[in-house]
Amino acid sequence: MNRTLVFAKRNIIEMSRDMLSYIFCIAFPIVMLLIMTLVNESIPAESGMTIFRIDNLAGGVVIFGQTFVMLFTALSVSKDRSGSFLIRLFATPMKSGNFTNGYILPMVAIAVVQSLITFVVAFIISLVVSYDLSPAGLIAAMIAIIPSAIMFTAIGLIFGTLFNQNAAPGLCSIIISLGSFLGAIWFDAESTGGVLLKICRCLPFIYCTKAARAAISLDFSMDAFVIPELIVLGTATILTVIAIAVFRTRMKADLS
Amino acid sequence: MNAIITEGLTKRYKDKTAVDSLNLSIDEGELFALLGVNGAGKTTTIRMLTCLSTPSAGHAKVFGHDVMAEPDEVKRLVGISTQDTAVAENLTVYENLKFMAGVYMSEEKGKEAEKSISDRIENIIKMFNLDEVRNKKAKTLSGGWKRKLSIAMALIGEPKILFLDEPTLGLDVLARRELWKIIEDLKSKVTIILTTHYMEEAEALADRIAVMISGKIVEIGTMDELEERTGKKGLEEVFVEIAGRN
Ligand SMILES: Nc1ncnc2c1ncn2[C@@H]1O[C@H](COP(=O)(O)OP(=O)(O)O)[C@@H](O)[C@H]1O
Ligand SMILES: [Mg+2]
Repeated sequence: MNRTLVFAKRNIIEMSRDMLSYIFCIAFPIVMLLIMTLVNESIPAESGMTIFRIDNLAGGVVIFGQTFVMLFTALSVSKDRSGSFLIRLFATPMKSGNFTNGYILPMVAIAVVQSLITFVVAFIISLVVSYDLSPAGLIAAMIAIIPSAIMFTAIGLIFGTLFNQNAAPGLCSIIISLGSFLGAIWFDAESTGGVLLKICRCLPFIYCTKAARAAISLDFSMDAFVIPELIVLGTATILTVIAIAVFRTRMKADLS
Repeated sequence: MNAIITEGLTKRYKDKTAVDSLNLSIDEGELFALLGVNGAGKTTTIRMLTCLSTPSAGHAKVFGHDVMAEPDEVKRLVGISTQDTAVAENLTVYENLKFMAGVYMSEEKGKEAEKSISDRIENIIKMFNLDEVRNKKAKTLSGGWKRKLSIAMALIGEPKILFLDEPTLGLDVLARRELWKIIEDLKSKVTIILTTHYMEEAEALADRIAVMISGKIVEIGTMDELEERTGKKGLEEVFVEIAGRN
């Protein structure tokens, strides 16, 4: 456990000194909140379109932000793997679990901080546009999004372990686009329906946004929250197990 | 006591035997140089001795511990400075040292442990003259400083054997000389296995030199012994003579 924390601390320091992490993990979600709120203001109320209303928007943007945490995980891991730094650590008493947990923990912590900042900004926006956003819902959502944070971190760890510094970010961008589209972050999949909704339902992303939005509006019913949250939790568990196995296998191969 | 013993240590890649049946015995306290051109198999040898690569055949023991059967014991005893500088780029010099100290000393807890970690770091900083850059990020350092940090990080766990893979590769003359001096000072404290393709480096530092060609050790001995056996003066002449025979 202790070596895990030593390594986690190193990863946090490395990231905290990289400007890009602030831009992608913090500035970007805030900018999206602001832009989409402006878009929402220009949508006529009669249209009945609520996807960019601040409660729905906050739930979407917080998941969108997590896709960048995934990108960052992939970048850090692939960067570490490209140099000799990990190799030298392989010659120390550190075990593969110290590495994987040491990567995952700080990323999940960053996702939680990111959600805090996103929700604080969302709350301020809600005051400005006079929409009733419950602080209790936002706090509940901060906890509800932890499984999806773990899920995206695991995907990042898998990509960062399997692919090099050039390929990993590219693959992450695909997941970012796919995740934000099929996660129904920027459009209302339920009312669109059809094949698109079916595809969305086959992937985990839509359940992330669904659970986050339900938590924000304090709707903890089976359909709106419990089932989506359980699906995300299950996916996160499976992907984390896969990520740990992939890293261990790769580490063994590196040492063969 | 023997710091290292190898018997028939071999590493084969698909179509290439990188290290071919190495029989070595290195004493505790020795500074042992593996001398050879690029591709001779020096790095591969070091990797096998530090559990970074699994031997295809043969055995190696580090202070009596088998590298394959007891990797955990071996890892506690060795420190390695890899051929490429290996530091955490966004951490400062001090943070890099503290990180490595944490990796090795994570079992020890409490005030006393913290004190002994910080004492160790200060000693290493002094030994490597790192004080003026202690709060600089590693990525802003020149090649010479970075290499010193990378070697310092290999020592922070107080290893019984220090492996230095081409420690002065790519350094300018002054940085090289400074590093030589540090290595000489280390000689009395720790067993050192150093690889190099610079003749003058092996000649200046090593107690014993093994000449490695195409994965095999073709000559081994003190400088005097090598000169006597080849009838040549100076390591460069000796090396050319040995290479010519093989
Ligand atoms: N992972 C590897 N796969 C295949 N061949 C390798 C690998 N590592 C080293 N080699 C080959 O083994 C030989 C010895 O390499 P190395 O130990 O790095 O030599 P040196 O350190 O003396 O320059 C070289 O021919 C190199 O190409
Ligand atoms: Mg080499």
